[in-house]
Amino acid sequence: MDNLLPSELLARLKETGEVDIVAGIPSYNNARTIGHVVRAVAAGLGKYFPGRKALIVNSDGGSKDGTHEAVLNAEVDHNALLQVSHPISPIRRITTAYTGIPGKGSAFRTIFAVAKHLQAKACLVVDSDLRSIAPQWVELLVRPVLDREFDFIAPYYLRHKYDGTITNSIIYPMTRAMLGQRVRQPIGGDFGISGKLAARYLEKDVWETDVARFGVDIWMTLTAIAEGFRVGQSYLGAKLHDAKDPGADLTSMFRQVVGSLFGLMETYEDTWQKIAGSEAVPMFGFPFEVGLEPIAVNVERMKQAFAQGTQDLREIYAEFLSPGTLDAVAACGHSVESEPFHLPDLLWVHTVYEFAAAYHRRTIARDHLLQSLVPLYLGRTASFVLEVQESTALQVEERIEKLCEVFEKEKGHLTALWQTGAGKEKSHAGTL
Amino acid sequence: MQGLFDRAFIEPFHRLAEQLKQVLPGVMTVVVILVAGSILAYLVRQTTYGLLRMVHFDKLAARTGWSDVVERTRIFRSASDFGARVAQGTVWLLIVLFALSAIGSPLTEDLVVRFFRFVPDLLTAILVLLLGSVVSKFLARSTLLAAVNAQWGGARLLSGGVRILVMSLAVVIALEQIRIGRTALLASFAILFAGIVLAVAISFGLAGRDLAREWLERRIRTKEPQDEEVFRHL
Repeated sequence: MDNLLPSELLARLKETGEVDIVAGIPSYNNARTIGHVVRAVAAGLGKYFPGRKALIVNSDGGSKDGTHEAVLNAEVDHNALLQVSHPISPIRRITTAYTGIPGKGSAFRTIFAVAKHLQAKACLVVDSDLRSIAPQWVELLVRPVLDREFDFIAPYYLRHKYDGTITNSIIYPMTRAMLGQRVRQPIGGDFGISGKLAARYLEKDVWETDVARFGVDIWMTLTAIAEGFRVGQSYLGAKLHDAKDPGADLTSMFRQVVGSLFGLMETYEDTWQKIAGSEAVPMFGFPFEVGLEPIAVNVERMKQAFAQGTQDLREIYAEFLSPGTLDAVAACGHSVESEPFHLPDLLWVHTVYEFAAAYHRRTIARDHLLQSLVPLYLGRTASFVLEVQESTALQVEERIEKLCEVFEKEKGHLTALWQTGAGKEKSHAGTL
Repeated sequence: MQGLFDRAFIEPFHRLAEQLKQVLPGVMTVVVILVAGSILAYLVRQTTYGLLRMVHFDKLAARTGWSDVVERTRIFRSASDFGARVAQGTVWLLIVLFALSAIGSPLTEDLVVRFFRFVPDLLTAILVLLLGSVVSKFLARSTLLAAVNAQWGGARLLSGGVRILVMSLAVVIALEQIRIGRTALLASFAILFAGIVLAVAISFGLAGRDLAREWLERRIRTKEPQDEEVFRHL
């Protein structure tokens, strides 16, 4: 595994010696925000783990905007933190370029390799574009790993009701229905991981796939749950971050995340097919209300994308959607101009399940399949936005809970499609 | 008189009988080969059809878009039927060639040799067409999905254009391979391709001229003092 780490880095790690905690920050042109993240992590490590030896690793994708300097020059004002004790050794920082396919996953791989090399007991990874990260995030993500023997701590954020729509409409409900664990933010991006789990991740042969890109978050979460590692979540408050990289368009991100999810369904098919229902996972931290930045969404544009997709892509959908689902989706596409536009939960759940089964059967090219789901996802998002525009955060959460229950209730539909291999041939007319 | 009668009537009959005696075994062989061959070709068709049905060939063909093409001809019932008949036709062709070579005349032997020299080119042309069909469908679908996700109005038109273009290219290469109408085909293709490029360029130019004007205006205006800065705090 050491061949993942360049010789200069290995030399610096040798100087550092063994550590208890490795805090990893993947980056690519994040000079504007990474200084704040490094300061918060350094402060958190110093304040909450003064007796532990820690290292901050910035795994960079070749930034040209001064990210490297921003990491090394970020200063922590320890007086302002009112610390009662101080770290036994200074928290060192290393910034290194990762190898492999450009993407967050490859950056994580280097961080895990460093953690393994230094025999770290806990590993923390946080995004470099976070504006709401505070020192206590470090404690909330690392403490359960070090003191309570958890292997994977997912974040639990408060997000604006229009934020995290891929999570709310597909990733969270599917994760929950598949593996029976209610991890609310499976692709949150900020995780606490045990050294044992980090080493397990490195053993996997996935680093040349979409996991090396945006698929890494869902892969880490599902692998941890499916392989029986102890999973928890910590309440972190609000998640405020920079707008996503404009180069990384929605279709590409969607494809990587949902493709990784569908791919993992194949990897763990024996596990998820035995699971029914779901249970809460242990939650750490103290829940509190926060103000959230409003998010502007263009519902009309999403509705138009959905309508165009249902018309122009009907021939593609006909290859794998059941006649009932296909007709219901088409009828919904015709109704975008009517008020109120609504894409029902049951239709959405059947659509996602039939796409997942088609991905498994390779009915059409997988990349095409995932791309063809994008307009339907936009339709579902438009419907959701219209439905919850007057709702409070609590009401929105209840609404998502209702959707999750439909995903769980209809899991038999997915299992049947998966096992029989019959998708298009099996009619579900009348069930929608 | 008798001699004249024999020379005029009997001897030609004898010669004909002699010639028939020489040709008849060959003809009989050809007839037997053709009858046995037709039975064999029929059996091959039935077996191939059964095998293709067993391996779900129709589903595979549906995925590559071949089913549509085959069914649109209204000659074949399905892709499996098409495959079975192609197998039957191939066996028939081989039987006919075998029968011709059984005659043993220089003309038929030359025909068989020329045919076998032509086979590699023919197979290459068929392969190019099959590959063109699969690639054109894949590219057309990729274009359709990219255009729909970018919310372009003429997504289907664009996708259809890509498919026609790629398939045209495949047809030209295939015909070039079997040396049919080389010059005329290349000229036609060049004219078609140039026409498409010109049409796309004109439509792009017409549709984008306002955008281009706006872009140029923005570029020029950024160099002038920006009065709106004064009101930004409001």
